[in-house]
Amino acid sequence: MKQFLLKMWSHCVRLTTRWPSIASIVPFIPVVAAWWIVTELQIFPRAFLPGPAEVVRSFGALVYMGILPAYLQDSIVRLAVGAFWGVALGIPLGILVGLNQRARTALWPLLLFFQAIGDIAWLPILVIWFGYGLTTITVVIVYTVIFPVVLNTVLGVRSIPITLHRAAQSLGASRIRMLWEVVLPGALPNIVTGLRNGLGYGWRALIATEIIVGTSGIGFLMFDARRSGSVVEILLGMIILGILWYIVDSWILAPIERATGQRWGLVTR
Amino acid sequence: MMLRRLSSAFWFGAPFMVLLILWAVFIPYFEVNPRLFPHLSSVIQAGIEGIQDGTLIQHIGASLLRVAVGTVLALLIAIPLGIAMGVSPMISSFLTPLFRFFSVLAGIAWIPIATLWFGYGFGAITFVIFNAVFFIVTYNTLLGVSTIPLQVRNAAASLGAGRWAMLTEVLLPGALPNIVTGIRTGLGFAWRGLIAAEMIATNVGLGYMLFVARDFYRTEVIVLGMIVIGVLWLLLDRLVLAPIERATIERWGMVQRA
Repeated sequence: MKQFLLKMWSHCVRLTTRWPSIASIVPFIPVVAAWWIVTELQIFPRAFLPGPAEVVRSFGALVYMGILPAYLQDSIVRLAVGAFWGVALGIPLGILVGLNQRARTALWPLLLFFQAIGDIAWLPILVIWFGYGLTTITVVIVYTVIFPVVLNTVLGVRSIPITLHRAAQSLGASRIRMLWEVVLPGALPNIVTGLRNGLGYGWRALIATEIIVGTSGIGFLMFDARRSGSVVEILLGMIILGILWYIVDSWILAPIERATGQRWGLVTR
Repeated sequence: MMLRRLSSAFWFGAPFMVLLILWAVFIPYFEVNPRLFPHLSSVIQAGIEGIQDGTLIQHIGASLLRVAVGTVLALLIAIPLGIAMGVSPMISSFLTPLFRFFSVLAGIAWIPIATLWFGYGFGAITFVIFNAVFFIVTYNTLLGVSTIPLQVRNAAASLGAGRWAMLTEVLLPGALPNIVTGIRTGLGFAWRGLIAAEMIATNVGLGYMLFVARDFYRTEVIVLGMIVIGVLWLLLDRLVLAPIERATIERWGMVQRA
């Protein structure tokens, strides 16, 4: 037994050193195996915890019917639109608050407070204002993404050493060039961190909104399945959400963060 | 000194005063339908009524109790588990993707299945909070322990530190900044998860208060609830999380990230 395990382990190590990307998949094999064994032994009733095979089958069925691709597309488009507006509004606001003392006195406490209210608490009143629809969902996501972006941009702008400002100024940089060549690059690592946090929250807000408001999307798929008591589809939804966010976070956001942080070498918080 | 603190408090409060005055003046002036946005006076009245008949206190109490129970349970399990797994570099590098995956899922995504497993009520909501905090704190503890330089551990071991001394004087302090960061992120997700779960799965709590008020177009109760949620989170942040962060991260001077 021990020999067998050791052999497996050595295979695993060899494989992961050759293709490092496999390393993040290997740990899931025992988990899925354990899940499969638990369901096969019928420790919990099938209706409570279906096995991996059923989830895969329902994945096939939903893809075949075209529901899953359509819902997935809806969710991703909503998140992308929300993130775009969150960034487009958040960065200018953050730079304004970071650079201007008066704007900071006026807006900083408000920003802290409205950030504390949290996205989901806005849902009931947004539903009254905009009804059950796309506007409500978009507003919630923009609201969620914008605060981490603004707060981190302010932090980034404020952390640029004053000597850099002075150097650029005494070399005769105009205000626009200051913005473009000193402030923005200096704040960029923080902005990206903010975007990453914001998307992390926005992602969850999207799911919650789709559950409560939704007419389509992965969150809606899960809650619809919950209403009809189909655990298979709930589990499927969770797995898809996890994989999707894992991909977005570790293949898109983390590399951007690393690239900006390393290039400008300003990872100090 | 006293004067400076007073003036900074004033400048912190001033924008809110301006906002409240604008609210009190403009909403009646433009005759906004109270079904769309409430008057300031009716929100204040709803607050007073809620305190007098005890419903507001009851909702707040229920929400806070759920957060406290879920968080404490999660921390009691997550920190020892994270440290135990982080001690061996092999195990920690093996398990990191797993916990990363689950901390990505943590919180709201569990609501549908939690309500199915535990039914609507205390169990489901506490479960959602528990796993929002649990996975993120475990992941961060794991990360924290595995970033402690091996020389530090070797130095402690060669100076004759026993297992207990190693734990309390090397591993725990070394991982503490990460643990605190984890708690903060986890609580942020848990708080949102709480509100969302209460909207869906219960009959008492702040989220429920908001969502029921929506059915009757009682915007003054909704706005009151939003203000209460904001204030509670600010208090939690300032009075609980920030002091812990100051005490740990600044004390051990590990604000730089690896």
